[in-house]
Amino acid sequence: MAKSYDVRRLPGFGAIAVLTFILLYLPILVLVVFSFNAGPSQSEWDGFSLQWYVAAFGNQQVQDVSIRSLWLAAVAAGMATALAVPAALATTRVSRFPGQTMIYALINQPLMVPEIVTGIALLIVVAWVKVNTGYSGMAYLVLAHTAFCIPFAYLPIRARLETLDPTLETAAADLYANPWQAFRYITLPLLVPGIAAGFMLGFVISLDTVVITEFVKSAGQDTLPTYMLGQLRRVITPEMNAIATLFLALSLLFVTAFFLITRKRG
Amino acid sequence: MSVEIEITGLGKIFGQGAAAFRALSDINLSIGTGEFFTLLGPSGCGKTTLLRVIAGFESPSMGSLKINGDEVAAKGPNARPVNTVFQNYALFPHMSVAQNIGFGLKMLGKPKAEIDSTVAEMLRLVRMEAMADRKPSEISGGQQQRVALARALAPRPRVLLLDEPLSALDLKLRKEMQSELKRLQGETGITFVFVTHDQEEALTMSDRIAVMSAGRILQCGTPHDIYHAPTDRFVADFIGDTNFLTVPVAALDDQGATVTLPGGAQAAARLPEGMRPVTGEEVTAVIRPEQATLAEPGAGDMDGVVETSTFFGTDTHIHLKLADGQGFVLRRQNTADLAAPDPGSTLGIALGAGTLRILKD
Repeated sequence: MAKSYDVRRLPGFGAIAVLTFILLYLPILVLVVFSFNAGPSQSEWDGFSLQWYVAAFGNQQVQDVSIRSLWLAAVAAGMATALAVPAALATTRVSRFPGQTMIYALINQPLMVPEIVTGIALLIVVAWVKVNTGYSGMAYLVLAHTAFCIPFAYLPIRARLETLDPTLETAAADLYANPWQAFRYITLPLLVPGIAAGFMLGFVISLDTVVITEFVKSAGQDTLPTYMLGQLRRVITPEMNAIATLFLALSLLFVTAFFLITRKRG
Repeated sequence: MSVEIEITGLGKIFGQGAAAFRALSDINLSIGTGEFFTLLGPSGCGKTTLLRVIAGFESPSMGSLKINGDEVAAKGPNARPVNTVFQNYALFPHMSVAQNIGFGLKMLGKPKAEIDSTVAEMLRLVRMEAMADRKPSEISGGQQQRVALARALAPRPRVLLLDEPLSALDLKLRKEMQSELKRLQGETGITFVFVTHDQEEALTMSDRIAVMSAGRILQCGTPHDIYHAPTDRFVADFIGDTNFLTVPVAALDDQGATVTLPGGAQAAARLPEGMRPVTGEEVTAVIRPEQATLAEPGAGDMDGVVETSTFFGTDTHIHLKLADGQGFVLRRQNTADLAAPDPGSTLGIALGAGTLRILKD
């Protein structure tokens, strides 16, 4: 019998792997390191300091856009998750129906449509609605982010549902639970890890998205990433590195939580 | 005995048009209160579908289903006084053993005190008192089985449905659970409808058995009747081992028929109800391997040439070839240290009195 195939034995595997990791993480490492620079340079190290973090925390604008980003992400991810649960139930807990694959594709549309296209489309529609209603509040951003987050909330919930034995719901019905009780006492508690994972993923996606926010926002509605983008057009100080580092830490926190939740399943 | 389940003209068709599949046809069944009733058949025979129709997980395409006199064919599973023990147990993984057992009562809106006392009683009944706070993943397969039973019995259903509940257990545990089930049924007095493909399990546990094939009930009767008086070739073949002999009818009388055995001797054979063959017609006669005994050549009802024999300890299966080429298996009890018969030797075969039966074909 042939020895089992091991990709790690291929010539150059180690070198390629190391190079890949360098490309992935070295720029981020440099960014993080210079956020602790005592001087204003992005290339010369003047010693360790937390001054740029102090400056970032003291910056009223940074505070405002951060809070806006966080509540926008929470509301959008919450609404997307609330919509994704019934969507996931309706595409897994029913016998196959014509058009099911089509609906699956439609739900995941934002994953396939280039973000810039979605952005331009939203820009046109939002501009039209703004002109006709005169309303220019946060609802546009909330709705745009919600729609964009739905597939990211939907996929972990659906994945969790597919691992759940449908016999459990049959057993609940057999034990006198009506459909609502079967959902409330059996399906929903078992779905919680999927729902939490969907929310986390949706939250991070909303937090990170630049393009859609950029096209939809009105004046004074900057989120953290669009604010950072705007600042980059001026002088770049390590304050931006500090903000970026904090932003990275927050994203990592949620993504790590997402992986921990999804890994614990079963 | 009063009637608990009354099924009349029931059928189930899955799919539509050309893809339609008839899973159940013309099911007529009457199951008595407190009976241990078994649906027996090979996989795909419709026994689980029939169980799911009784539970309410499938609705029948036609016919009537009454439980304790109430027509329930149109009711959902949560509106029937019936509980199920599932093949994979389907215990709720996020609930403790006690919460699992109490779930049905909670859904029925029973007060907490009543739920607690019933759960305690059920835990005692299945001897799982020490495991009340464990999660299903923390107990063994046999213990999960007991919890599934307790959960289904706790709401005191009129009927308990069991879908091959023992198939996942190893042999020793299966034997234990078989007697456990009989004990539980005796103590609760609840009607049990049990689905299995294991004929031995069906014979040892049931008050009555319905043998199913291709969506129909072929024969319904006591284990004794099913084994000793099969009316159907499939039933005779599926339950135990059987010799099938194609023989011509020599004469008919009030008690039954006389057939001509291979080799020319004649023997009396019982006729199933409603069958009147004509003299000379070829019929299928059956006899169990243990109902024939060995004799000196020429001294039995027919002679056979030994082809092979297999030693099983308590008995030896001797495969013989009859005068007209048909095969015959005889099960010899090893009442002493008997030698295996030599292949090629001729032996006499004596049929036990009244054991030969003619089948409706």
